[in-house]
Amino acid sequence: MTELKHYFAPTSLDQAVECLKDGDVTILAGGTDLTPQSQAGRIKIKHTLMNIRHIPQLSGITLEGTEIRIGALATITEIMEHPLVKEHLPVLIEACDHFASDQIRNAGTIGGNICNASPAGDTLIPLLVLDACVELASMPESKIYRHCMPLSTFFVGPGKTRKSLCELVTCVRIPLPAPGHVARFYKLGTRPALDISTISIGVGGTLKQGILSNARVAFGAVAPTPTRASQTEQALEGQRLDAATIDKVAAVARDEVKPIDDVRATAWYRKEMIHNITKRILSHVAQA
Amino acid sequence: MNVAEKKARIIEPETLIGKRIQKMDAPEKASGKTRYIHDINLSGQLYGKILRSGRIHALIKSIDTSAARALPGVHVVITAADIPDQRPIGVAKDHFPLKVGRVRSQRDEIAAVAAESEEIAEAALKLIKVEYEDLPVISNPEDAIKPGAALIHPEPHGADGTHLHLKQGMSIAHKGKPDNIAMRFDYVHGDVIQGEAESDVVIEDTFKLHYVTHCCMGVSGMIAEFDASGNLLMYSNTQVPFLHKREFAEYLNMDPARIRIIQPPIGGGFGSKLDIYPFEVICLYLARAAKRPVKMLFTREEEFLASPTRQPVLLTLRSGCKKDGTLTFRQVHTLHDNGAYTSWGATTPFVMMQTFSSLYRVPHCDYHTAAVYTNNPYAGSFRGYGNLQATFAIEQHMDMLAEKIGMDPLEFRLKNAQDAGETTGQGMSFKSCGFKDCLNTAAQRSDYSRKVKENTANRSKPGNIKRGIGMASMLHVGGGAKIYPSDGCGTILKLDDFANVTLITGASEIGQGSETVLSQLVCEELGLPISAITVVNNDTAITPWDVGVHASRTTFIAGNSAIGAAKKAKTKILAVAAKKYEAAESDLDLRGGFVIKAASGEVVVELSKLLRNLHFQDKAELVMTTFYYEPPSVHQDKGFKGDVSAAYAWGTQVVEVEVDTDTGQVRMTRVTGAHDVGRVLNRLGIEGQIEGGVIMGQGYALTEDLMIENGVMKNPNFRDYKLVTAPEIPEMDISFIESMDGEGPQGAKGVGEAPSICIAAATANAIANATGVRMFELPFTPEKVYRALHGQTPKLYWKPWRAE
Ligand SMILES: Cc1cc2nc3c(=O)[nH]c(=O)nc-3n(C[C@H](O)[C@H](O)[C@H](O)COP(=O)(O)OP(=O)(O)OC[C@H]3O[C@@H](n4cnc5c(N)ncnc54)[C@H](O)[C@@H]3O)c2cc1C
Repeated sequence: MTELKHYFAPTSLDQAVECLKDGDVTILAGGTDLTPQSQAGRIKIKHTLMNIRHIPQLSGITLEGTEIRIGALATITEIMEHPLVKEHLPVLIEACDHFASDQIRNAGTIGGNICNASPAGDTLIPLLVLDACVELASMPESKIYRHCMPLSTFFVGPGKTRKSLCELVTCVRIPLPAPGHVARFYKLGTRPALDISTISIGVGGTLKQGILSNARVAFGAVAPTPTRASQTEQALEGQRLDAATIDKVAAVARDEVKPIDDVRATAWYRKEMIHNITKRILSHVAQA
Repeated sequence: MNVAEKKARIIEPETLIGKRIQKMDAPEKASGKTRYIHDINLSGQLYGKILRSGRIHALIKSIDTSAARALPGVHVVITAADIPDQRPIGVAKDHFPLKVGRVRSQRDEIAAVAAESEEIAEAALKLIKVEYEDLPVISNPEDAIKPGAALIHPEPHGADGTHLHLKQGMSIAHKGKPDNIAMRFDYVHGDVIQGEAESDVVIEDTFKLHYVTHCCMGVSGMIAEFDASGNLLMYSNTQVPFLHKREFAEYLNMDPARIRIIQPPIGGGFGSKLDIYPFEVICLYLARAAKRPVKMLFTREEEFLASPTRQPVLLTLRSGCKKDGTLTFRQVHTLHDNGAYTSWGATTPFVMMQTFSSLYRVPHCDYHTAAVYTNNPYAGSFRGYGNLQATFAIEQHMDMLAEKIGMDPLEFRLKNAQDAGETTGQGMSFKSCGFKDCLNTAAQRSDYSRKVKENTANRSKPGNIKRGIGMASMLHVGGGAKIYPSDGCGTILKLDDFANVTLITGASEIGQGSETVLSQLVCEELGLPISAITVVNNDTAITPWDVGVHASRTTFIAGNSAIGAAKKAKTKILAVAAKKYEAAESDLDLRGGFVIKAASGEVVVELSKLLRNLHFQDKAELVMTTFYYEPPSVHQDKGFKGDVSAAYAWGTQVVEVEVDTDTGQVRMTRVTGAHDVGRVLNRLGIEGQIEGGVIMGQGYALTEDLMIENGVMKNPNFRDYKLVTAPEIPEMDISFIESMDGEGPQGAKGVGEAPSICIAAATANAIANATGVRMFELPFTPEKVYRALHGQTPKLYWKPWRAE
């Protein structure tokens, strides 16, 4: 049982960041991580439980200049069904399509997925591949202060991010992919639905005449955080995706990751899968 | 009288048998209206919670409950010290509900609280202080039988002089056990040495079967209340109300006549409610001490931690055959991990040895099991009762032997399959037997023989997806199982003045659809529509005696009992009608709610009218009958021989898979099943039963794995314990072989457990067909399969061992 001392449901961003000032606040979005974690005693609800679901500034999916802005409260279902995402960010849909179940997708938000900072968080891998930035808001004095941070530097460990206790994630911003951009996501688990990733892989880049540039590779569930794989990206950068390159890159990927043994798989198997699936994805990209 | 009125009304013959009849509890369940035990609350009720050990193997040095007792809202706190008359429970009486002196597994019960709310009860548990002294943990059954292994149940009066509050008694719980062998089974027919000498081919392999658990949607629970006169009313999910009532009486030292058990609808059983567990007895202690009703419900985590499991087994099988495909012998040694206490899991050899001795004709068979104590969770009964484990080994060996002698695996099986009329080495006599029909039907409908060859040829072709097909068959009791001196069931039947019938049966409904099938059988006999029946089946104060839901027995045993009562009612009705309408009884029949002329279907009188006449006549009479059915089966002798069931069920299942050799993922694409069920009674019900069983078998084969490391359960939750979900469920093609059993109700045999039995074995054969790699250890998770495909699985071998 979780005892609540104080519950607050702000209706504006101002109220929310003001409330966050003293830092003794637990933020509630969809609650699909928070509820099981607090019930299992793994996290303690702080003095105030703040439900952010009534803050209009945190929702919506829009095109702002050359960026797509996805509000922190956008649910997995909303993302999957949104025309902007369908048109420009199909790799994000691929990840959402392997995310939990309908019930959880209807409640779980992208902001929650990001702030929960699980190494196996499924939207995080495509977001890394898409060079997404997180927008954070706080109220240092009496005015809202916002700043953006690349997602690739946001995570510091399982459940840990560089967001301070006084900050709220308001949205993620994703640059519109350049023409010729390709990206793929693959999630491996024991079963096709309702599973935590044993490993996940995202690959992206711009493909012109068979050559991949601006290569992005991200791995899930093989490190304390979802990570970009810089050595693998380097091995891939500017290369023609022929069989020899693909073999080489897959081997680099396997050697680059340092996974652990847990209830889902051993480190050995994870490395093997990083190799085999990287190879599989690159072959698909090459054929695209 | 005009002409139209005079024209006789004809009722055409109709039958309910084999029809698709909606389960009677379906509308309530589908609309969320069913009141499970979780929904029942009694006024004045307290909430019970149990403090569990958390340690795996330790001496209890002290328990301090003072702070918990002092918490406002707490009514009762008990430990073993508060119940000096505790009696041991379980199949071997080696288990005190509240632990005395020592804990032997993670789930062990230390103390319990009854409080005004669940929250207060939980808070109170946190205030209980226990001091332990850890002992070495035995988590591997092979270690438990090593010479000098620490004892799990040593004599309780230890040298340390701990005061143990034990009354004198003769049980293992009182006196201890000088070794770690909880139970052993040794069976033989023929002479395996001779059998081996006659063999052209001999193979030996070790198989390892893992822990899984029932995962009932409804977690375990119970409500207990003592009335002012000291009578006990229990709301319980037991599958065995009458035998358990007697046991509960023993544990409480009270007269069984003063115990009444009501069984609310149950959220899943599958064998898990066949034994009495500590929480039930503890709930009774709490209610007795509190003098208030006490409700106890498990959390999901507790359900994982403290429910029984399927029996894990290490098994070495040696089999042989001749070049012509005749089986020669089978030698089996198993090591059963009994866990810390003995429940029904230890007795799974009763079923396992039947499969080894009698599924196929085997002239020589030698079988040995030792169930050994460890500090692991303990195994109970679970749909299939050891047969999944035995079939996993046997049916892989059938494929492997066939391959060795170069015979088609189907032909090899057909050559050794039993026929009707045979009596096996173990004394089982097959009056009806559709085994060969099952084999042929499943093979034909899945195009088995062609696909086996095609898949084998495709193995070396490029591509990471390999297709495979595999077959397995099963034999299981289908006419009850005489494990107690009786295997009977009673029925009371009453007809009212509207010709509505109330069926009062001892058979419990645990979701399997028994009340619907029993209703069909009664209505069929009495010529009534299914809407004319009410079933009463959940109150020991009303229902007649029965030995419980297990061994796929209910349709067969309770069905025959219900038919018996209905026949008596029919005889009485026809006698009354014959007298009143001056006809011979044999010329009359019941149909569509009327008494009719049997030959023409011509209406004689409306049944309700006849019954009202009967009630209002001078010498008023009621139509109320009773019947008790005892099947013509026998108790096994000391050598485990005898015709233990009145009928036997057969089945063959063919599994098709796609193995991804890059990842080790196995997708089950199709299951083709053929089941000898005697006769289909409720087609909708039996299809559901088969589909559910297949999925349970699929989980056992591919995804479910209760991970225990050094006695600690690593995944007591649905995130990491992976049940099969909807997208993975294969296509199914199910055929029924109707062998019309002579003893069965309308020819039917039991089928409850059958569909889950073959899936793991057939999947192993399918993976071997797809990849050429044999797997001897379940479950076939992606990593396990991938390792096996890449030569990363050391060959499993357990040297056969038997207790002295
Ligand atoms: C059955 C089940 C299956 C699941 N399957 C998957 C899966 O397949 N893949 C996957 O990735 N995840 C899965 N999850 C995890 C979870 O659903 C996701 O992480 C989801 O995106 C969390 O979003 P939420 O809105 O529910 O977060 P919440 O639970 O409300 O919050 C999560 C954390 O983030 C913080 N937080 C939330 N929003 C903000 C914000 N805007 N600013 C600052 N902090 C914030 C909260 O304080 C909390 O610490 C599953 C969960 C369940 C219960």
